[in-house]
Amino acid sequence: MKQFLVLGVINGAVYGLLATGLVLVYKGARVFNFAQAEFGTVAAFFAYWLIEKQHLPYWAGDLLAILGIAIVGFLVERLIVRPLFTAPRVTLLVATAGVALVLIQLQFIIVGANAVQIGPALRGIGVNILDVVVSPQRLLIFGVLVILGLGMGYFFSRTDLGLAVLATSQEPVATELAGIGTRRMSSFIWTFAAVLGGIAGVLLAPTGALFPGFMTITDLLPAFTAAVVGGITSLPGAFLGGLLIGITQGLGEFYFGSSTIVRGAANLLVFAVLVLVLLVRPKGLIGREA
Amino acid sequence: MPLLELTDVRTGYGSLPVLHGISFAVEQGELAVMLGLNGAGKSTTMMAIAGLLKTWSGSISFEDASVGRLDTAKRVQRGIVLVPEGRRVFPALSVTVNLRLGAWVRRRDRKALKERMEKVFEYFPRLAERRNQLAGTMSGGEQQMLAVGRGLMADPKLLLIDEASLGLAPKTAQELFQTVKQISKTGVTVIMVEQNAGALDVADRAFIMEKGTLIFQGAGDEELKATDLRAAYLG
Repeated sequence: MKQFLVLGVINGAVYGLLATGLVLVYKGARVFNFAQAEFGTVAAFFAYWLIEKQHLPYWAGDLLAILGIAIVGFLVERLIVRPLFTAPRVTLLVATAGVALVLIQLQFIIVGANAVQIGPALRGIGVNILDVVVSPQRLLIFGVLVILGLGMGYFFSRTDLGLAVLATSQEPVATELAGIGTRRMSSFIWTFAAVLGGIAGVLLAPTGALFPGFMTITDLLPAFTAAVVGGITSLPGAFLGGLLIGITQGLGEFYFGSSTIVRGAANLLVFAVLVLVLLVRPKGLIGREA
Repeated sequence: MPLLELTDVRTGYGSLPVLHGISFAVEQGELAVMLGLNGAGKSTTMMAIAGLLKTWSGSISFEDASVGRLDTAKRVQRGIVLVPEGRRVFPALSVTVNLRLGAWVRRRDRKALKERMEKVFEYFPRLAERRNQLAGTMSGGEQQMLAVGRGLMADPKLLLIDEASLGLAPKTAQELFQTVKQISKTGVTVIMVEQNAGALDVADRAFIMEKGTLIFQGAGDEELKATDLRAAYLG
């Protein structure tokens, strides 16, 4: 069971990262971003091309991939979100689904339907944690996510820019009147969300096969659940929600993973948690804006 | 040379005109009060000056330069700051953070920012007591103090305050007017939009608006006392 728990925590941290991006965009634009996971997939393909095809060092490939997805996020805001700034939110919601579909189609056209793979960033013997052998790659993922989580905690509670992002989500008119400029903040929010998705993408890339839309298929729903469980407007809540969903999935795999009667029981358990949270605590675990 | 001058300003929402050619000027250091009933166009005038609403025609000049085409952020940088109707504090952020964000355009100068925050706490000691409290959990009067304080953090030359007394107890409203008077005495020019005629007690200049036009403007103790403004305002 310990193995499932440890893996659950690591997967959960990735969901938490994606969920944080979802919450950020939700706070800034009051819309669920269907393209959030695709920011990750595209970054993973960028990394694949740079590392496997261009033979760049791992760190350089990952950094450039994240930079690339930051530009994609910026362009999505400029070309799609900004023209819809005053449009009904449902229009923007459909637009984000459109962005996801376009990105997936582009992957089919450019990369093709066959799965590809990136070698792990770190090789070597696994490390023993709670009697569970964890691969160096997964440890790297966890380490990066913990540092990132702490960094974001600092950014959103101490820095002017981080606080301005929170302010924009709470009172757009007052933000404008303080001279912060909601449109400039919108650019920042979408770029930052793309970077968060991109980091999740490049970290996950070496752990499995890359195929068009893989993160939307495997990670978007757990991340969305994590965001809702955390309270949809709370950034720390999203990260915690991610961990909870990861652990729930891990336990589901342990208890029902080999069941042939209930296939996909682990995911079923995730949705059971979602329904339970919505019934018992509809505001989410951290039910206030943060 | 007036600090702010509006000449024949027309604007509205969508195709609906609200201001039908407003012209007035405010001198440096004055405390002007703009009275009028609901729908008279007072808030629209403030939004046009602050840059939240584009003007259809006419001109707005500030410190002898046209600002009519600048966006809100640039106007804040020039020193035009609006404290909006309904307070609009950042509810899930603390008093200190609300104030800090008010100083966004001057955030680089940390020392001056700290001094201005202390000054705000002097004007509104209640805010100092509640500096770590979330703004959304404070009373209406305290939120209004915070909204004015946040406006001051931008170091304004012209402070526009829209309906500060709305929903406040009469005593609290009077205290707020007195504090605004103190602020104006430090050299900050203030335009207070009000439905509460009690604000006239602290005014150097008064405007009365009706249906998108100015029906009265006057300045100086004598002129303000000679005219029965309360009667004019109430029609």
